[in-house]
Amino acid sequence: MSEWHVDPGLLQQYEQGVLNPSRVMAVEAHMSACATCRGRVPVDITWLTGNWSVVFDSIHAPQAGPVQRLLARVGLPEHRFRLLTATPALRWSWLIATLSVGALAVIAAWLAAAGETGGASRLFLVLAPVLPVVAVSGAYGSGVDPMHEITGTTPSAGPALVLWRAVAVIGAATALAGVAGLLLPGPGWYAAAWLLPALLLCTGTLALATVWSLQAAAVALGGLWLTGVCWVLGDRSEVFIPFVFGPIAQFVYLAAAAAAVAVLIRRRRHFDLGESR
Amino acid sequence: MTTVTVRGLSKRYGSLTALEAVDLEIGVGVTGLLGPNGAGKSTLLRCLATALGPDSGSIRVHGFDPAVPAQRTEVRRRIGYLPQNPGLYPNFTTYDLLDYVAVLKEMTDTRQRRAEVRRVLDEVELTDRAKTKVRKLSGGMRQRLGLAQALLGDPDLVILDEPTVGLDPEQRMLFRALISRIGERRTVLLSTHQTEDVGALCERVVVMSGGRVVFEGNPRELAGVADGQVWLSGNPPEGSAAYWRNADGLYRVIGQRPEGAEAARPSIEDGYLMLLGRATIAEVAR
Repeated sequence: MSEWHVDPGLLQQYEQGVLNPSRVMAVEAHMSACATCRGRVPVDITWLTGNWSVVFDSIHAPQAGPVQRLLARVGLPEHRFRLLTATPALRWSWLIATLSVGALAVIAAWLAAAGETGGASRLFLVLAPVLPVVAVSGAYGSGVDPMHEITGTTPSAGPALVLWRAVAVIGAATALAGVAGLLLPGPGWYAAAWLLPALLLCTGTLALATVWSLQAAAVALGGLWLTGVCWVLGDRSEVFIPFVFGPIAQFVYLAAAAAAVAVLIRRRRHFDLGESR
Repeated sequence: MTTVTVRGLSKRYGSLTALEAVDLEIGVGVTGLLGPNGAGKSTLLRCLATALGPDSGSIRVHGFDPAVPAQRTEVRRRIGYLPQNPGLYPNFTTYDLLDYVAVLKEMTDTRQRRAEVRRVLDEVELTDRAKTKVRKLSGGMRQRLGLAQALLGDPDLVILDEPTVGLDPEQRMLFRALISRIGERRTVLLSTHQTEDVGALCERVVVMSGGRVVFEGNPRELAGVADGQVWLSGNPPEGSAAYWRNADGLYRVIGQRPEGAEAARPSIEDGYLMLLGRATIAEVAR
């Protein structure tokens, strides 16, 4: 409790209702924390506390921005938005994904301007599936989140939180890469050909993260993809796109992604800090 | 009433045994966990906080078993945890950080959540710092903020891993007062190196060494371990395992009575040193 109290003259003026609004607020701010002063004038403590709580929150609580208002309209609850956007680790994930897509677009445009439209498409198809994986790698874990030990001991911790965050960053990275894909030269299906490989890499990374850290899993699978496609590109460049992105390959990606989801469901508890491995 | 029951808890990191067959019961009030570095204090607290799964043994918090995933969530709903390195986001304001942790603690109703944030800010006396960024808070304020996030949701069990490390005497006093208030109706388990913290705060003390519990009792009983083995001598003793010169210019000796020495009233620290044995005594005296 404060050792300072409101001057009796000022308190009398407050009671008479002759103070200006800013002084009224100052007196009420003090009275909300001072039982002695509250005892000297008739005041409704419930009203006073409630009133000052609203003032306090409107000054200190995070305000809803345009993105939150937009997502609220499509049904995303406020607390879910806070969970996904408050985390610095996730902000980095989105930033990396955005910058990667931007860099990819610049390189593709540069190649296209140099007459290498085929090169631009190939570069996009090789790198686009890795982008969501890069974003996922920054979404969860002690390596990217300094508060991971606190986060990991809250009731929200574990597979649900990992998956919510992963879906959020995959969604953002996929949308960005999708827009970039639409701008590419070449057949229209190129814009969608990378989606199933991306799905496989993301689900595979999450499944592998039940054994290793998310970051190690992302590096392993992303590296495996890049090594594999670069090898095909070097060895069988004339059939690269049908071989890596043709219907048979797409079916294989879908089947492998389904298997990864099954592993993920079976081993989901291993995302939990408290689980004995 | 018992809040936490631990039976035969063991944990190894490779060839290192961090916990070995720990048995413990903890009830309402402040319990201090004392022990040297590597004694297993943090590992025990991390297991209780569900940040780490044990290799064997069992834990019950209000009857819930954290080894069972569904019950682990129930345990998490009843605990507040301040790790040794909480890693509080430096660019968050005090209010934002608490609001975020409150969301993690399943407080989904905005109005109720904000009321809870105001409550804990008030409890740790940081209301006037609600808009301050974490990186601009002093060490003591940051620890109070760490405590505040642990208190969100009014948990029955509050686990604090070395909360007074790095605090100056004034901040430590303030922090002790806070913990003491919190422990009036909750179970507080705090690990510390400071025997003064135990003497000032704890109704009960547990001493760990080498992954085992070597003492359980109250602070007076811990001091009693050194009964008849603490002496005040005018001359430096020969052959004693530990001694130091106090403010009065006398030598405080633990162990065998030096010639001409007078018996001294043992402190908690004396009992603690006696417990940890000659090896620790020699290390501390060095």
